[in-house]
Amino acid sequence: MASVELRDLTKRYGSNAVVDDISLTIAHGSLVCLLGPSGCGKTTTLRLIAGFVEPTAGEIRVGDQQVSSPQRTLPPERRNMSMIFQSYALWPHMTVAENITYGLKLRKIDTATTKRKLEAILATTRLAPLASRYPGELSGGQQQRVALARALIVEPETLLLDEPLSNLDANLREEMRFEIRRLHDEYRYTTIYVTHDQSEAMTTADVICVMNGGKIEQAGSPEDIYDRPNSEFVARFIGMSNVVRGKTLAEGRVDFSGVPLRVSNATVQRSGDTAVSIRQHSIRLMAKEPAEKENVVPATVVRQVFLGSSRDYLVEVADGTQLRVVTPASDAVAAGSNVWLHLPHESCRALSA
Amino acid sequence: MTLALPAQKEGRRTFKVDFSVPVLLTFAALLCVLILLPISWLVMYSLSEVDPATKERVFTLAQFRTLFSDPDLVEPLITTMIVAISSSVACCLVAAPMGWLVARTDMPMTKVIRALVTASFVTPPFLGAIAWEILAAPNSGLLNKLYRFLTGAEMDAYLFNIYSMPGLIFVIACYTFPYVFVLVANALDRIPGDLEDASSILGAGTWTTARRVTIPLVLPALLAGALVAFLQAMILFGSPAILALPAGFHTMTTKIWSLFQYPPKPELAAAASLPLLFLTVMLLRGQQMILGRKGYSIVGGKSGEPRLIRLGWFVVPAMAFVVIVLMLPVFLPYFALLNAAFSPIATNLVTSATFTMKNFHFTFFELSTTQLALKNTFILGAASATIGTVLALVISYATARKAITGYRVLGFLATAPIAIPGIVLGVGLFLAYTRPPFVLYGTLWVLLIAYITIELPAAYQQLQSAFRAVHPELEDASRILGATRLRSLRDVTAPLLRTSVLATWCFIFVSTVRELSAAIMLFTSETKVVSVLIFDLKESGDLGAIAILGLSMLVLTFTVVIFINRLPGFGSSGLRNT
Repeated sequence: MASVELRDLTKRYGSNAVVDDISLTIAHGSLVCLLGPSGCGKTTTLRLIAGFVEPTAGEIRVGDQQVSSPQRTLPPERRNMSMIFQSYALWPHMTVAENITYGLKLRKIDTATTKRKLEAILATTRLAPLASRYPGELSGGQQQRVALARALIVEPETLLLDEPLSNLDANLREEMRFEIRRLHDEYRYTTIYVTHDQSEAMTTADVICVMNGGKIEQAGSPEDIYDRPNSEFVARFIGMSNVVRGKTLAEGRVDFSGVPLRVSNATVQRSGDTAVSIRQHSIRLMAKEPAEKENVVPATVVRQVFLGSSRDYLVEVADGTQLRVVTPASDAVAAGSNVWLHLPHESCRALSA
Repeated sequence: MTLALPAQKEGRRTFKVDFSVPVLLTFAALLCVLILLPISWLVMYSLSEVDPATKERVFTLAQFRTLFSDPDLVEPLITTMIVAISSSVACCLVAAPMGWLVARTDMPMTKVIRALVTASFVTPPFLGAIAWEILAAPNSGLLNKLYRFLTGAEMDAYLFNIYSMPGLIFVIACYTFPYVFVLVANALDRIPGDLEDASSILGAGTWTTARRVTIPLVLPALLAGALVAFLQAMILFGSPAILALPAGFHTMTTKIWSLFQYPPKPELAAAASLPLLFLTVMLLRGQQMILGRKGYSIVGGKSGEPRLIRLGWFVVPAMAFVVIVLMLPVFLPYFALLNAAFSPIATNLVTSATFTMKNFHFTFFELSTTQLALKNTFILGAASATIGTVLALVISYATARKAITGYRVLGFLATAPIAIPGIVLGVGLFLAYTRPPFVLYGTLWVLLIAYITIELPAAYQQLQSAFRAVHPELEDASRILGATRLRSLRDVTAPLLRTSVLATWCFIFVSTVRELSAAIMLFTSETKVVSVLIFDLKESGDLGAIAILGLSMLVLTFTVVIFINRLPGFGSSGLRNT
C-alpha cells in the first residue's frame, strides 16, 4: 500500500518559500486535488513529490519509505510513479504505440506481455486505430488520452497530474474529467492532481487541498470546501461567494449594515471585525418588504443581467457594501429599485481569516 | 491488473554526485583559455615594449601615441572609416528598396530573388574581390576590354578601375548588402497586415501608409542592418588585401597584417587591433539596443496576411533594378570565375576552341601545395566542426536546462567571441601561442583553436534555440517512467536534436573552409589551408587555379547550404563572413 505523506515540506528559492511547511497525508487509492491560483506552489509541490525538485526542509514518504529529504532524494525514475504533464510531453519522434510502451521497455517487460498490455490500454482509452500515428497527427483530446495511456500502462503506485486539461477546449475538458475519474476508480492508484480550475477539482477529487502562498489553506471533501470554507481566501477562490465584514456581536451575530446578522457557526467568538461569507445563489432577493425580519437587509439594485437560466444582480446595502446575487430568471427587478435581501443564517458562515 | 513491479528496496540509497561544479569549472577554464588568453596578450603587448638596454618588457603608451600620430597608421584608420561608412550607406540604398519590393509588393519570382541574395551571402568576399579583379582590372578586366571593343578606345583607356577606393567600396558593398536585405525583409515579413489595414481604414492611401506606418516600423531593422554592414566592412581582410594593396593604400586590417611582415612589429599590431575590437563591441551593443527596444517589437495576436502593393507598370523598372543589383555580386563574378577556370588566359573569353581543362589539372595534380592545403582544410574543418559542436552542445544544454549554477557565465563566454574580429583574434593567438607554456604556432592546433573560437557563438546560439524547442517536460516524462538522466538524453533529447546538431556541424565546417582573416595571421608553409592558398595564388597571378579552387569551395558551400535547408524543420541562418 502506497500512501503518500508530506511532512513539514518546504522548498525555498533564495529567501522565497514557494512551498511553505506543508503537511498532508494522502491515503492509498484516493484522488487528491491541489487547487489554487497560479504561483501558489501547487506545481512545485507536485514536482517535489515526483522527485524533480529537492526539498529545502521536511520529507516525503511513500508507504513506509522516505523518498525525499534535504539529505537525499530518490531520483524520479526510481519512484514507481507516473505523471501527466501540462504539455502532455509526448515524444514527437515516437509513434503512439512507441510512446505508450516506452515505460514497459525500460522495465524490460517481454514482448508478448507488452503487446497484451498495449492492446488493453489502447482499448480502454479508445486509441486502437491511432497506434501507428505520430503525436503531431493527433488532436488535442487524442494526445491527452495518449499521455494518459502512457502514464497508466506501467501500473504506477502513484499518478501525478499537472493541469492535464488546461490545453483542451471546454467540451473535451468535461469529458476527460470523467475519464480520469473513471480510470482512477478502475485501477485504484493514488492520484495527485494539480489544477487551478475549481469545477475540475470538485468533479474529480475525493479530497481538495486549497493552496495559497505556499501553504494549504484548507483540506477537505469537495462538500466541506464548498459549503464550509474556513477562510476568506477559500471562500473567494471557490467562487460565487460574497464576503462581507462587520463588528462581532454576542451570541454568534455579526453587525452587517445595521442588521444583527445571525451566522451558522456560532462558535466563532471574537472581538473586533468578523468576515462572513454567503453564496450568491443562497441569497433571496425580494421586491416587497417581508414580514419576517431575521437576517433581512434592505438594498438597492445597481444593475442586473439576464443570463438565460438565471439573473445576475449587483445590489448595494446602506453602508455601501455591494453584493452579487443570483436569482431565477423569472425574478426581474429593474435597476434602481429598492429590494430586500434574505440571507438565510444556515448559509452565513463566519470566517477565521 | 496487479502491480507487476518489484517494490523499491528500502535503503537503496542514491548518492548525489554533484557534477555541476567540476563541469562548470572545466568549461569556464576552457573558454577562458580560448578567449581571455589571446585578448590579454593583445592588451599586454599594446601597452608595452622591449627595453633595448635591459631586454625586459616595460610599460609604455608609445604604441598608442604612434597609432594616432604616425600618418602611416592614421591614414588606414581614416580609410577604414570612409570605406565602412560608404559601403554601409550603399548597402542600405540598395537593400532597403529591394527588401521592400520582395516582401511587400506583387513582384514576381521573389523566391528566386531571395535565393540569389543567399548566394551572394555565402560567396566568400575575397573570392568576389578576385572575380571583380578579373572583370574590372583597368587593363585586363573583361568589362574594360568590352568597353574598348565597343567604343574603339585606346589600348590604355578603361571604364572601371577596381584597384581604387570606390572599387573597394563597391566590392565590399556587393557582399555585405545581404545582411541589410535579410534584416529589412524579415522585419517587413513580420509586420502584420492589420497595421497597414488600420491606417488604410482611417483614410490613408497606399503611399501614405507606406510612408507613415510601414517605413517607420522597419527603420530599426534598417539601422541595425547599417551597423552590421559597417562592422563587416571594417573587419574584412580579404577584399582590401586584394584590391587596396595594388592601389597603394591600406585599411586597418591590411595594416595590421603588414605589421607582421618583415620586420615584425607585434606591439604596434596589437595596439592597432584594439580600436577594431572596441568598435566591434560598441557596434554590436548598438545593434542589440536598436533591435531590442520594446516599443518597436510588434504587439498583437493573430493577424492577417499582409496585403501586397500592386506595382502595375512599375514592375518593369523594379525588376530591372533587382536584376542589376543581383548581377553585380552573383552573375558577373560567377561568370568571370567560370571563364577563368576553363580558359587558358583568365582574362580572355573562353571559346570552344580555347576551352581547356589545363587549370583543373594544374591545380589538383601539378601544384604541390594544393594537396597539402586540401588535406589541412579538411582535417581542420572536420575537427573544428566536431569539437565546436560538442562544446556548443554541452554549454547550450547547461544553459537551456539551467543544469548547473553559474550557467549564465558559460553562456556569456560562449557568445563573447562574436565581438572579436578574425584578424584581431589572429594577432592575439599569434602572441599567445608563440611562447611557453603553449607553443602551438606553426601547428594545426593554433588554427583549430582560432576556428573553434570564431565559430562557437553561432554554433552555441543555434543549439541553444534547438534545446529551447525541446520542452523540458519531454525529458521529465521519460524520467518519471523510469529512465535515468542519461537514458532520457539518449532516448528523447538526442533524436530530437539530431537535425540541429547535423546542421550546426555543417555550418561550422563550411565557415571554417571559407575563413581567411585569422588563418592569414596564423598559417605557416606546413599549415596552409585552401583560403590562404587562394590568397597566395593571387600574389603569383594564377587566376585559373584560383577560379578552380574558388568554384570548388562554392560548390561545397552550396551543397551544404541546400542540404541543411532540406533538413526537416530547419530554416537558414547566417554564415559569418570573414
